[in-house]
Amino acid sequence: MKRFLETGNFAIAEAAIIAGCRFFAGYPITPATELAESMSLRLPQVDGVYLQAEDECAAMHLCIGAALGGMKAMTATSGPGFILYADPFGWALGCEMPMVVLNSGRVGPVSGITGAPGQGEFYNTRYPTQGGNYESVVLAPNSAQEAMAMVIEAFYLSERLRMPVTVLADQLITDGWEDISIPETEEEMKEMGMRFWPRKFHPGPDFYPATDALDIPPVQMGKNTGGLCSDWTPTEQGYDIEEVEDHHKHAYRLIYKVRNNRELFAHHYEKKYMDDDPDLVVVSYGTPSRVVNTAVGRARSQGMKVGSLRLINLWPFPDEHFTRKAKYLAVELNWDGQLVREIQRAVPKDSDVHFLGICGDLPTNQDLLETFDKILKNQPLQRKGWEMEAW
Amino acid sequence: MEYYSSNLIEEYLRTRKIPSTACSGCGLGMNHKVVIQAFKELGLKTADIIWGTSIGCAGRQTFATFKGDGFAGTHGRAYAIARGLRIALPPEKKIVLSVGDGDAFGIGLMHLIHSARVNADITVIVHDNLGYQSTGGQFGFTTPMGVKTDSSPYGMFEPNLMSEGMDVMHILKGAGATFLARHVVLADGAMAVESVKKAILNRGFSLVHMPHPCVTNFAMKHLGSRVPVEIFRWFKERTAPLGQEKPNTIWATGIWHDASNTRPEFSEVMWGATEKIRRTGAL
Repeated sequence: MKRFLETGNFAIAEAAIIAGCRFFAGYPITPATELAESMSLRLPQVDGVYLQAEDECAAMHLCIGAALGGMKAMTATSGPGFILYADPFGWALGCEMPMVVLNSGRVGPVSGITGAPGQGEFYNTRYPTQGGNYESVVLAPNSAQEAMAMVIEAFYLSERLRMPVTVLADQLITDGWEDISIPETEEEMKEMGMRFWPRKFHPGPDFYPATDALDIPPVQMGKNTGGLCSDWTPTEQGYDIEEVEDHHKHAYRLIYKVRNNRELFAHHYEKKYMDDDPDLVVVSYGTPSRVVNTAVGRARSQGMKVGSLRLINLWPFPDEHFTRKAKYLAVELNWDGQLVREIQRAVPKDSDVHFLGICGDLPTNQDLLETFDKILKNQPLQRKGWEMEAW
Repeated sequence: MEYYSSNLIEEYLRTRKIPSTACSGCGLGMNHKVVIQAFKELGLKTADIIWGTSIGCAGRQTFATFKGDGFAGTHGRAYAIARGLRIALPPEKKIVLSVGDGDAFGIGLMHLIHSARVNADITVIVHDNLGYQSTGGQFGFTTPMGVKTDSSPYGMFEPNLMSEGMDVMHILKGAGATFLARHVVLADGAMAVESVKKAILNRGFSLVHMPHPCVTNFAMKHLGSRVPVEIFRWFKERTAPLGQEKPNTIWATGIWHDASNTRPEFSEVMWGATEKIRRTGAL
C-alpha cells in the first residue's frame, strides 16, 4: 500500500490504473485538469494511452472507440464539459459500452466559478443524454480517498452492468490535498473493500438480449464475429429496424438491468446517529457531508435528536432510506435545490422537507446547527440573503 | 435471388440487408459497390476490415451491410470513435468509414480535421448527396451555388466548402491528410476503385470524396424530376477529370493529394512513445 499527501485528481488517476484503465481521453477543464495531467504522466508507464481530445464530445467518443476495441477507458470533466458528453453518453448507454466518467462539480450555470465547489449536476448525471428510456448509475464520494475507491467501484460496476458509470465529485475533492492510501496489489484492493472485474468479450452477434442479466460482456470490434453496434434500435441480429416492440425490449434492458440489480451498489451510503429514529434526518452527498457529519455530532452533544444520511449511490435514487415519516433537511452546494426535490418525492406523504443551499463554499457548522434548531422547534428558516430557503 | 448472387455480395455483404433500403435510382449503391470492389481487388477478407458508418442516408443505408464487424456512430462522431478504435486495434486491421457529406463536412468536420492532423489510419469514404437528403432535402456544405433545396428555396447563396474557389480537399490537405481523391462514380467508376484501393493501402488518413445523385429529394427539388437519367446527366455534365475542368465543372475528379505512407501513423506514434516511456522513462 502506498500512502501520499496528494490531490483527489492524483488519487483518481492511480485508482483508474489499478482498475485496469489503459485509455484516457480528456480535455483540460478546471477542476479535472490535473486528472488528465496525471494520466498523461502515468498511462505510458503502464502501457496505456492518453489522448487530448479536440473537445469533450470527442473525448468520450474516443473512449467509446477504445472500449469498442476492448480497452477499459475513462474520461473526466466538469459541468461545462459534461454537457458535451451528452452525445456520446447516449451512444455508450444504448450500445452498452462500459467506461467511467468523472464529473467534478463547480459553480454553474455555464462557466460560472471554476475554482469553487458546486453540486448543480445532480439531475444532469441522472439524465446525461437525450431520449430517456435508460437508468443511470452515479456514485458520489466525499473525499479523495473515497473518490479513489469509487472510481475503482465504477469500473467494476460498468463492466458488470455493461454501461458507462458516472462518479460525481466536486472541486474540493479533485483539487483538494488529502492523505491518500492506494492499494498496490489485488489482495490489498480486496482488503480495502475494492472490487475488480476484467473486460471480457462477447462473441456475438446476438448480444442484445431483452434481459436484466448481469455480466454480459460488451460487443467488440476486430474479432471478426460480425459484431454490430449502432445508435439505432438493436435487435437480436444486431440490425437496426425501427420497430417499437424491439425498441421496447432494448429499453427494458437498459432500465431494468440497473433497477433489478441494485444490490450491487445500494450499500454505498453512510448513516450516522440514525439508529434511534432521529427527529431530523440531514441528507447530503459529496464534500458538504463532511461538515454535516461534524455538525450532526455537535447537535447530538447539545441534545438535538438529529441524524446524518450521506448518499454515495445517488442514482438510481435510494428511496429505501426515506420510508420513515420524519423531518428531512437536504444540504446541497447549489441555490436552486435539486436533491431536495428527490427527497420530497421519496418521503411519506406530509413529511417535513427542508433545504439548505450554499454554493461555491461549504456550509459552516454554525449555519447547520442554527438550521437544525429552527427545524426541530418548528420555527421558520431565516432567510440569510437568498441562500437559505424554506422548501 | 439470382440477381443478387454475385461473388462480391456473398463474400462481403449481409444478404439480409439486400436489397438496400435506399431509394430506387440512388447513386449510393454504385459508390458502395466501388468500395467493396476495392476490398476484393486488394484481396481483403471481412476479418481484415472494421466497417464504420454514421447518420443520414450514407450511414443508415450502409450500416450492417458489411458482413464483418461494424459500428455506426452518432452524427459526425465516427471519426473520433475510429481514432479511439485505432488505438485499441492491431495495426493490420483496416478501418473503413462510410459516411455522408453532412456528417463529414458539417457536424463532424472538426473531428475529421483532427483525424487528418494525427494521420490516423482510417479510410473515410464520403458519399456526398449534396445535402441533407434523409431529412427531406436541405442544403449542406457542398451543395452547389444556386441549387434549390427545401432550406434554400431561393437557390443556394450562403458560402460553403465548395464555393468561391474553396474546396474541402484543400482544408484536409492542410490538416495533414495523406491521401485525398474525388470521384463521381457514374463518370469514372474504374478510377474510383483504384483510388479507394490506394486510400486503404495508405497507412494514414485517407479520404475519398464521392458525390452521387439523390433522385428523390435533390433532383425533384432542383430539376423538378425524379427520373434518374435527368440527374445522372446533370451530374455528368458538371464532372471533369482534374486538369480538364470546364467552366461549369463542379467536381474535378482524380487523386487530389497522394502523400501515402510519408507521415508517421497515429497509433504507431502513440504506442511507440508509450513503449519507449515504459522502458526508459522518457522519450
